[in-house]
Order: sequence, then structure tokens, then C-alpha cells
Amino acid sequence: MSSVDKNQAIIDYLNTCPSIVDNPQYFNFANAKDGSKQISVRSSDKSRNKPFIDGSVEKQFAFTIYDFRSISYNPLVIQSGFNNENVDELNAIQGIIDWVTEQNDSQNYPNFGDNCIIDAIYTTTENPNLAGVDKTVSPQVAVYSVTINVDYLDISRKVWQNN
Amino acid sequence: MAIAQFNLKKNQRAERKLLITVAEWTDEAVTTYELQTSQPANWATNYTSYYIKSGNDYVAVTGTTAPTWVADTYYTKVTMGPTFREILGTRTEDSSIEYNTDIATSTDIRGFNYTDVNKTQPQQSFDPFLILGGSYLGAKLNDIRKRNAYSELSQFTLYIITAYIGNETDGYDAERHTDCTIEYTSLGGDANVNMPINVYFSNRVTAGTVDKLDETFTFTPDVSV
Repeated sequence: MSSVDKNQAIIDYLNTCPSIVDNPQYFNFANAKDGSKQISVRSSDKSRNKPFIDGSVEKQFAFTIYDFRSISYNPLVIQSGFNNENVDELNAIQGIIDWVTEQNDSQNYPNFGDNCIIDAIYTTTENPNLAGVDKTVSPQVAVYSVTINVDYLDISRKVWQNN
Repeated sequence: MAIAQFNLKKNQRAERKLLITVAEWTDEAVTTYELQTSQPANWATNYTSYYIKSGNDYVAVTGTTAPTWVADTYYTKVTMGPTFREILGTRTEDSSIEYNTDIATSTDIRGFNYTDVNKTQPQQSFDPFLILGGSYLGAKLNDIRKRNAYSELSQFTLYIITAYIGNETDGYDAERHTDCTIEYTSLGGDANVNMPINVYFSNRVTAGTVDKLDETFTFTPDVSV
């Protein structure tokens, strides 16, 4: 398996995340409804590639998960047993970030094929970003985003293939 | 014999990867097991040559038919040595061979200069030289460092392969230096463990060719005519 579809590898990988697998997933385009997850690719700047003297190149694959969550206009209640929906939703999305961190710590990476050595997978932020609110749908949904980078070494043009 | 020309188009630049430094040394053979992430082409017919991990042991696959392939489950047995080779420069962005030429220049009473090249002491630095899984050279140097057995640092053979001269059919130009030294300069770093090295070429040089660009190459000395 010298070359694989990295987008499919990411989709397969994310489907091992408990916070994601049981929700509707979309690629690049999504229906904005509660619980939907949209995986959007981000272009990687080739000028940031780092070439090495053996012909291998350090690259980055980046994508963003948009997480649609219904919103509440209820005020915060400071009382035991009462949770605010917006806070709960945010904590649920935080689970994706924590999962990515755990996977990186255990070196469980997406499978980019034999020509790529994954160095790290990590989120660019410690907590989810509130990207916007869609009031045109019912129920109204907030859009949270988590951007994930995969740093990898592309050895496909390495001069010395077996070492 | 005419000087060999570059295998490049006119004005084409030689990619840095075409200048290759390889370290070679002998040591006790090492057997490792490499995890297979994708199904080998010969799985259906050659499955008994693969292994599964049982506790800390590796056990050959058995049975009358090939089991269903499962990624990240089966291993191949790899035996390396007693001759080891490793390309230098993995994850190194910039490295050059410094010739450290010793030059003596004198000027006669007419004002003409006479320059003598007394010697060269070629060396090359690799920084970073990261501690990487699967690097036999890294493990070798670390073992020497741990035992403070620095006399063993001068037991290496180094090859300089200029892959911009030659081809797969006739071989690529190369030179072999024996009794060379590889020195580690530090150990540490920031995010990853780095053990930068300097390599010192002995100038006990044999010119020749290598038949291919991987660790199984055969070096053939040039024939003097």
C-alpha cells in the first residue's frame, strides 16, 4: 500500500472516536442539524514543507471538524443537578479534543500508507471554537469547530528507500 | 580515462538527495520483527513466513489456508547484520562535507604566489541526528556512549555516493573510506531526543561504483589501467 487516500484515512480514523462515530458525518458539506459532524479539508501551504537531504519531506495534513449543536437561551443556573445545555454541548465537543490528545500520546495514528510516517496528530486549540450560529434552521444550531493537524514525513521521494 | 560526466540535463541542478553518505560497520546480527500495516502481495501463498505476537514471543503463522488478513497483526522477521549500513541524514535539513584543506602560500620576490595544498581532513556534521526507531546506527552509537567505549567510534567505513554520476546499468560513482570515525557531540534537544554526530573521513579511499541506491548495494573498486 504505497499510496492511500488521506481523506478516507481520516474518515476511517475519526470513526474510531466515540464522540463522533454515532453521529451523522459529512465531508466538506453538511446539513446543519443537531449532532451533525462536518469534516472539512484545509489546504496546506507547500512553502511550509520541510525537505531533508535524503529526499524525504516533512508535511502537514490539516482538517477541521465542524460540530453542529442545538442551542439554548436559558440562563445559567448555579444549582446542583441543573446543567446548562450549551455548557454540556461544549463539554461533549471537548471530548473530541481529548480523544485526539489520547491517540497522539499512544501513537495511534491514521493510516496514510507505507510512504508516510506520521509524527503527530493534534488539535490546534485546547478547547473548541464557537464558529457561528445558524438561526435559519429549527432548532437553531451553534457551529463549533476543532482544527486538527497531522504532521507526517513523506518518504515517497527518498533516495534510499529501505533505510 | 575520461572524466565521468554528470547524468543531468544541461544546467539542471543536482538534487541534494543525490549526494549520499553511508556508514557501514560490522556487529552481531540482530533479528527484529516488523509489524505489517498492509496486506502483502504474497499473503495467500506465503502466509507461513509471517509471525504473530504471543506475549513477548513471535510465533509463525500455521494452518492449511491463509487466515483472513488483519492489519497491524502480522509481523515479518528481519535479520540484519553482521554488516550494517545506514544512510546518514534522515531528518537533516542541511549537511555538507567540509574538506578542511590545509594550505600554505608563499610569495616570491617577484610577487608571484605559490600555493601548496598539504592535506585535507574531510568531515561532515549531521544535526539533527535524531534517535529514531529502527536506526541501527543510533543504537550502535548509543551503546558506545553508554559504555564510554569511545575507541569503538573509529571502526566505521564511510561511503560517499555521488548519484548524479552514473546510472543503474553502469553503477553510480562512489568512494569508500575505511577506518573512519563517527563522533556524537551531544544528547538531548527539545521535543525529540537528538544526538548530533560528526563523521570524519579517513582519506584511506578507494574509488569505485555502487550498483544500486539501497543498503544492499555492492561496491566495486575501479580498475586501474
